[in-house]
Amino acid sequence: MATFIIGYALIFLVVAFIVFSVLVKKKVLFGHTIAMQRIFANPLLHYSIRRILSSLISIALAMLVTFFLIRIAKSPEQMCSRFNDIHTPPEVIALKCQSFKESMGLSGSILEQLVRFFYSVIPFPKLICNTSFDLVTIDGVTTYKGFISDCRTIIFDLGRIYDLNGVDNGTLVTDYMLSRMGISFKIGIFAVILELALGYPFGILMAKYQNGWFDRIGKGYIMIIDAIPGVAYYYIWMALLCNLIKLPYVYEADNVLSYLPAIITMGVTGASGIGLWVRRYMVDEFNADYVKFARSKGLSENRIMTVHILRNAVVPLVRTFPSAVIGALMGSYYLENMYAINGIGRALIIANDSNNVWLIQGLILFTAFLSVISYLLGDIVTALVDPRISFTN
Amino acid sequence: MKKNKNNEEKLFQVIDDDPRLVDAVEVEKTIDTDIEKLFTVVGTSDEKIEKLDATPYSYWSMTFKYLFKNPFVIVCLVILGLLIFFTIFGPLMRNYPLLELNGAAYGNTEYNWKEVIPPNAEHWFGVFYPGGNGLMLGGDLWWLVWKGSQLSLILGVVVALIDTIVGIVVGSLWGYFKWLDPILIEFRNFVNNLPTLLLDILLMQILKPYMKQFSFVIIVFLLTALGWVGLAGFIRNQIIIIRNREYNIASQTLGSSSKAMITHNLLPYLVSVIITVVSTAIPEAISAEVGLAYFGLSFEVQYNQITLGQILTNIVKTTDWMQYPYLLIAPMVVMAPLTICFFYLGLALADATDPKTHR
Repeated sequence: MATFIIGYALIFLVVAFIVFSVLVKKKVLFGHTIAMQRIFANPLLHYSIRRILSSLISIALAMLVTFFLIRIAKSPEQMCSRFNDIHTPPEVIALKCQSFKESMGLSGSILEQLVRFFYSVIPFPKLICNTSFDLVTIDGVTTYKGFISDCRTIIFDLGRIYDLNGVDNGTLVTDYMLSRMGISFKIGIFAVILELALGYPFGILMAKYQNGWFDRIGKGYIMIIDAIPGVAYYYIWMALLCNLIKLPYVYEADNVLSYLPAIITMGVTGASGIGLWVRRYMVDEFNADYVKFARSKGLSENRIMTVHILRNAVVPLVRTFPSAVIGALMGSYYLENMYAINGIGRALIIANDSNNVWLIQGLILFTAFLSVISYLLGDIVTALVDPRISFTN
Repeated sequence: MKKNKNNEEKLFQVIDDDPRLVDAVEVEKTIDTDIEKLFTVVGTSDEKIEKLDATPYSYWSMTFKYLFKNPFVIVCLVILGLLIFFTIFGPLMRNYPLLELNGAAYGNTEYNWKEVIPPNAEHWFGVFYPGGNGLMLGGDLWWLVWKGSQLSLILGVVVALIDTIVGIVVGSLWGYFKWLDPILIEFRNFVNNLPTLLLDILLMQILKPYMKQFSFVIIVFLLTALGWVGLAGFIRNQIIIIRNREYNIASQTLGSSSKAMITHNLLPYLVSVIITVVSTAIPEAISAEVGLAYFGLSFEVQYNQITLGQILTNIVKTTDWMQYPYLLIAPMVVMAPLTICFFYLGLALADATDPKTHR
């Protein structure tokens, strides 16, 4: 009951906030109150609202397309083939299949499933129960019977994990993804920190000694990273870190040392990209008037470099901060597979192998949503840092 | 003020006294009086009209001149030449076809695939030895690697060609016609929001039954299905930058058709950009195949189609390569120089084809 109230209250607050800010912007309400105008008619706020609302359409479209694609790729009949067994009579197999479809939410026509899917995804409080179906024999007739358990009120539902013998059977997809996201983030956030800590000095040094030996080596390194296949490159690092330095090559939650290979590989790879852009933007700024002015006033080269040029060169790079941090949530497909990290990146492969269609659908929604948010945050952060950018028409 | 006036006077004086001025006046008089004394009329000659006195400039010859000045380009070309030579003739040098060998391995005691065979005189890259099982078990790595490089190279070139052709056509239309912009931007956002790997996995699952006959077409389709979008977006940005330059507006006002505008005004301006994109697209396609193969979405060894990606994937399936590094080194020896050289050539071509560097 509490979740119902909180859920509707939240929805009401969000809708009311949007309506209110639109009204204030149109000067229907508080047309002359400067403080209200400043807060609720902020162009940045309205830009964000517009972007989020318009991206909802593209997310819905993505969900629709992938929904049909998943249904074609993984038809329930094909998934039922796991029940095929010479010793089981065909009618029992059919029943098992039917119960499987029911408990997965794959029964009914494709349109029915689609409506059910959008109903569960649209955020408003609803009662979700775990219905598992089992075969029961009553008076010599075998039928399947549903068992309802674990009823919960949730706002946002993505279905459940179907894992016949596993521990995760019946877990909500949202819970499952959140726990895995934590693992991905634990690795990813340190990788981002390492990336920034290495990438900036790398780029600054390359720009400072432009066309010197450091610059040449750095450019060569960046080119190699860009050129050779990612998998090959990751395994070269694995050979260095796990073969030569003997770091553990299997992730263990308790062993901090086992986090290191993934963090180092991710960080060093990301640093090359950051270094490239830092160098490029800094070199562009070298001949700007303000730099010549600072130089003619007698400032030291180092001060010009780190204070004047870097500050201007960083502005276009700030856009990538949010996507880097949010990218840490999503993990890396390759590295999580290589080091057996049970993060989000690996979940996709697992979901596909185990035919967990709702998990696949959830991962797509999750990825699409996060990428929309990271682009939006990138724009907002750039606008906050750079006063030249405005979101008014 | 006074000083200035003095200066001005000085200036005029100098000019009045300038002997050259006197000469000029005399020459003018001469021209006025008898032109025929100064010039002899030689008549017209079609050949001489066409002849230029300035040093002739040819775009492509300057491009190649500039390109071959770079020693690394020569090195890359030599390495690429060697790689392509071995790609063609390598499998013939040490001919151990995989499936035959594999068939023999199970019945024949001559080939004990559990034995570790590092590089030697017979097997130049050693013998494939994974701890688990697989169709590449006991294969000669020299034969495997060059056989894989054959298919990878062909695939890379085909995918790069399709990607760039579609990318350039769509990108130039996208940049030129303003009404297409919102539609395609929405499409690009849609593509960017999707996890590409998942799309590939699903498509592969749908197309799996046709893998036996159409494997090449399917893999090309997977790699090109969305690969062109980024490229088209890139070309679109470039075209938007130059679309409203004066020469284009002039051309449009004079009534050039859209087709002529794109093919004669816009794309020639982007030759440098396009060439860079084409040449870096080949290593990118090779890398993309390796990525797909890592998740088992590439060709199937059982149909005797081997790529570099599959070899690498099969080797890293177990951790045996840590103990026997030659396993990892063998595919790397081909893969790394192949992609790096193509990539470097692409970057060098970008510099060389830019007319601003032709001086």
